[in-house]
Amino acid sequence: MAFIAVAVFLTAYAFIAADRVNKTVVALAGAAAVVILPVISSDDIFYSRETGIDWDVIFLLLGMMIIVSVLRQTGVFEYIAIWAAKRAKGSPLRIMILLVLVTAVASALLDNVTTVLLIAPVTLLVCDRLDISAAPFLMAEVFASNIGGAATLVGDPPNIIIASRGGLTFNSFLLHLAPIVAIVIAAFIAMLPRLFPGSFAVDAERVADVMALEEGEAIRDRGLLIKCGLVLAAVFAAFIGHSALHLEPSVVALLGAGVLILTSGLERSDYLSGVEWETLLFFAGLFVMVGALVDTGVIATLAKAATAVTSGNALLTTMGILGVSAPVSGIIDNIPYVATMTPIVAELSTTLPTNSHPDALWWALALGADFGGNLTAVGASANVVMLGIARRADNPISFWEFTRKGIVVTAVSVALTAVYLWLRYFVFG
Amino acid sequence: MRAQEIAEDFPVVSIDSNALEAAKLLAEHRLPGIVVTDSLGKPYAVLPASQVVRFIVPGYVQDDPSLAGVLSETVADRSAEKLRGKTVRDVLPEHLRDVPAADADATVIEVAAMMARLHSPLIAVVKDGELRGVITASRLLAAALRV
Repeated sequence: MAFIAVAVFLTAYAFIAADRVNKTVVALAGAAAVVILPVISSDDIFYSRETGIDWDVIFLLLGMMIIVSVLRQTGVFEYIAIWAAKRAKGSPLRIMILLVLVTAVASALLDNVTTVLLIAPVTLLVCDRLDISAAPFLMAEVFASNIGGAATLVGDPPNIIIASRGGLTFNSFLLHLAPIVAIVIAAFIAMLPRLFPGSFAVDAERVADVMALEEGEAIRDRGLLIKCGLVLAAVFAAFIGHSALHLEPSVVALLGAGVLILTSGLERSDYLSGVEWETLLFFAGLFVMVGALVDTGVIATLAKAATAVTSGNALLTTMGILGVSAPVSGIIDNIPYVATMTPIVAELSTTLPTNSHPDALWWALALGADFGGNLTAVGASANVVMLGIARRADNPISFWEFTRKGIVVTAVSVALTAVYLWLRYFVFG
Repeated sequence: MRAQEIAEDFPVVSIDSNALEAAKLLAEHRLPGIVVTDSLGKPYAVLPASQVVRFIVPGYVQDDPSLAGVLSETVADRSAEKLRGKTVRDVLPEHLRDVPAADADATVIEVAAMMARLHSPLIAVVKDGELRGVITASRLLAAALRV
């Protein structure tokens, strides 16, 4: 049975990595194969915490997607981005820095692809007014989005999987990941002039065009904005107060989504517009395939092998997870990678003999997978979406143009992360 | 009643002609669209006025309509400048190219069906490959209602 589970998994993984067939179809076909053969039972799929579909992940994603669908109707994001561009007084470098900060913060609260879809039109507008190429700005934003998304439990789908499988709270993510994300963002901002040389020359007359933008006009529905603000504040307060409220993040997100559906007065097509049903099914398929690997003991064997390779050394294992996660996530989708790695890391965190900080392994996985998304143009869904937007806007960004800069950004991010993990958990921990 | 009986003379533009001049033609004559001919003078496409309007709306506003209001009045008034230096080919989207023309012997229903299917405000009428005129939606209605 273990052989069948591995064969199905590797075949599906190869198809997902090749990106020739719809990845949701591949994941569901793989799931169907392990059920039919049968490697895993329906009880294992639907009711087991260890081997089944992680409903917390699925419903947290669904709830947040609905909340974001409603939030998008308000125009608040456009307001903030234009306000920031005007505060930069038309200086392209300052505009880039402020848009990077807006993107990083938004990505920590919202899904990265949504953030990119929201920031890109505003960026194109500002660059059009300044008569400068938008490509460097779009690239800087997508890098910031992948970095910023690592800061919270809901910022990036891999974090949601890691939180659920590792039993980690929203506050743990904030306390352990937000500091390093802030450091990496600061380093990234310092790198911007060298990363995008010659991108900041602008005609003084064009600056007036940016200053003339009327950001207040972006707000479409003030009443809806207030409702969204209240619900979002309540949702994040409940995420933070998880230990006192005993409400799982998925339940909080669904309750928030439900309140917004009832109070927003929006049509079903509007509040469901941001729900990516295919992504949810993709997750379900992955969980079933990985569940089969857990059920047949493959994951436990892999964890033992990993322990043997690092001789049970916690620091070496942490750095190993970080060092492998970043390049692998840069080449293949980080969601299947993290879905596969979480049971291995769960096993390692309980079996490593000298591990005084078992969560360090989870943080290494989260940071490696999230930051690794910047490595290549196909490393994260947000990169692919942004490149598509750039192409349609006649500001094409080639694969190598993105990847050359992505390698630098990822190398710096991972180096800083390695130092952070070492200092925080192995020197001062 | 056949297509050639209700076809009217109508200005045409070549695919490589100036887009700004084509837009001026549409504006000055209040035309719903204009027939575009290929380099041999044969009907090639229909350029609806709505498509020209869509072209002058920046892509980022089409992606995010809430940005339409943030542009100042002065900038909005200059929006047609986007057509400067462009040809009709640049403005014509892929799906409106190689649009079929109605045969001179087509009935009113055939022309109406084609107009509805193509979402086109006008249909070129050809005979033996040569342009014989154009039927607009209002001309078609007038013929159908016999007014």
